Amino acid sequence: MADTRDLVTGSALCALGAAMAIVARGFPTVGGMAYGPDLFPTIVAVGLVASGLGIAAEGLAAGRNRPDEDGGRRLGPLVGILAVIAFFALALDPLGFHIAAAISLLCSVRLFGGGMVAGTALALVGPVVLHAVFYSVLRVPLPWGLLLPVAW
Amino acid sequence: MELVTLLAAVFEPQLLLTILLCTLYGSFVGAMPGLTATMAVALLVPFTYFMDPVQAVAAIVATTTTAIFAGDISGALLRMPGTPASAAYVEDAHALARAGRPRTTLFVSLFAASIGGIIGVLLLASATPLLARIASRFSSDEAFWLATLGLSCAVFVGGASVPRNFASLFIGLAIASVGIDVAVGHPRFTFGINDLYDGISFIPAMIGLFAIAEILRNAETSDPTRLGQLSVEPLRTALAGAWGQIRQRKLGILRSGVGGTFIGALPGAGADIAAWIAYAVSRRLSKTPEKFGRGHYEGIVDGGTANNAAVAGAWTPALVFGIPGDSVTAIAIGVLLMKGLTPGPNIFSSDAMLVETLFGAFLVANVVMIVSGGLAIMAASRLLRVPRSMLMPSVLLLSMIGAYAIMGSVTAVWIVLGLGLLGYLMTLARIPIAPAVLGVVLGEVVEDNFMVSMMKAQGDLTGFFDRGTAAVLGVVTLAVWGLLLFRAAREVISGGGSRSRETEKT
Repeated sequence: MADTRDLVTGSALCALGAAMAIVARGFPTVGGMAYGPDLFPTIVAVGLVASGLGIAAEGLAAGRNRPDEDGGRRLGPLVGILAVIAFFALALDPLGFHIAAAISLLCSVRLFGGGMVAGTALALVGPVVLHAVFYSVLRVPLPWGLLLPVAW
Repeated sequence: MELVTLLAAVFEPQLLLTILLCTLYGSFVGAMPGLTATMAVALLVPFTYFMDPVQAVAAIVATTTTAIFAGDISGALLRMPGTPASAAYVEDAHALARAGRPRTTLFVSLFAASIGGIIGVLLLASATPLLARIASRFSSDEAFWLATLGLSCAVFVGGASVPRNFASLFIGLAIASVGIDVAVGHPRFTFGINDLYDGISFIPAMIGLFAIAEILRNAETSDPTRLGQLSVEPLRTALAGAWGQIRQRKLGILRSGVGGTFIGALPGAGADIAAWIAYAVSRRLSKTPEKFGRGHYEGIVDGGTANNAAVAGAWTPALVFGIPGDSVTAIAIGVLLMKGLTPGPNIFSSDAMLVETLFGAFLVANVVMIVSGGLAIMAASRLLRVPRSMLMPSVLLLSMIGAYAIMGSVTAVWIVLGLGLLGYLMTLARIPIAPAVLGVVLGEVVEDNFMVSMMKAQGDLTGFFDRGTAAVLGVVTLAVWGLLLFRAAREVISGGGSRSRETEKT
């Protein structure tokens, strides 16, 4: 038996290192020089593979699955939050900052176990506060999207 | 005359206001379980983009100092350290709070933190100019070895096992190698995305690794313990009691302050390690070691002094060599680079005013902290009742919009998502995050100096040892590597499990 999580981690690092090294081999070298843009990524790739092997070896030596210190995991909210970030990235330009932010806030309040009323309140207040700070004070050009006709 | 100019710069109203606001912000974030001091700084960085360099650095300093102290608030009241730096003496603080002395305990740790911070700044201000004079003679060879030594030390003293620390470091260096390369200008690992030609933008990367990873961890665990009823003593009693404790323990404070500063100055060892070591030393030297862990002020005073002294100490290698002492100074170096300032020995001659104002701001922050921290202690029970379901979504939106504000492109949000997920997976795999941050910040420095030295030496590796100082640094680095290999072998044989607990929070 071995610690499966360490074996997975080790293999992932080895795969990442191998992929980096393969891509780096395609980088052009400057005439006559033995080293170019590929040298540093190759060193890093070797390091990734070596540490991956080290972690895998640790897992093998551990001989069992070490218990989780955090206790139970809830995958739903986790995936939900990732989806909220992806939604924000996709919706920011077409819908505009205010709408995208309000929807993101409402959804994430619900994902963290908050109620509809609290979520709606935060979704209404949050974007306005951030608008004041970033758009009005710091002059960051936040996209207006659908609200462009009523931009203030 | 110079002193007058300096005082005028330090006491400039806008700077003082920044420091005051940041100490309040630091108290709030530090007190919240699940929000660390590093996260407070990562969220602050988008704002520093719009400040002048002195103001930006002062903001970071003020936020960190108070956040490290404020971590004690939830530590004492909930037995959940607000930041990892408060973990060493959380048992004592909580036991005292439950015995009806929450405010006395917190004022003890506030005073200790402030004094520790001041000791740290005084040492920092007296040591760094001397070190900088030595460092100003360095060439690319020494710079390469020094950066490599810094990275190796980070691996050596970091919490987790050697392979895990190395994995983190190389992940950071891999992130740093994205973008146009320094030698011939070839785009590496950009996958045709134009926004990546300049490399993975630093601020979204920090926000992802620290803020989003932490939010994801919070999302998948259930809500922490709620604050129960707590009896609170009157303010006057608390202040008098706390001051009495501090006066009794002058020697311990001095020892932990000086020790904490030195530990903080080691690359990779931050406030949390300083607190653990100071607590252990305090217990060993104590006349009443059996009281430790059951509600004893001695450990709180020593640990609380050391962790704030370490905050100042971490700036030593950052300012003198451009090598961060912890994750916060790593972020600060990134901010300075963004402002066109390169931390390193030359900053002491080229931007002497900036450095001196920084020391001044550090001192002011440690004094102002007493007011902001005091307010936070008074409002503690209200502060801890802010529901997580409102707090985390707000932090999430602030993270995304902060990253977007810096890059002005949605790519920033994707970077935040990608690195947030990476940071989360790293904690899941028990890989610490701090070395990766050093890798991201130092990657370019290491590669630049490596390539310059390689070209000078025409690819002959012995060229790295040609100059006297470079040879010494090179040999020290190789010795550290030897020790690391030895420790790695020992850890692998023993299964590496014993130290994995510490990697959970960075």
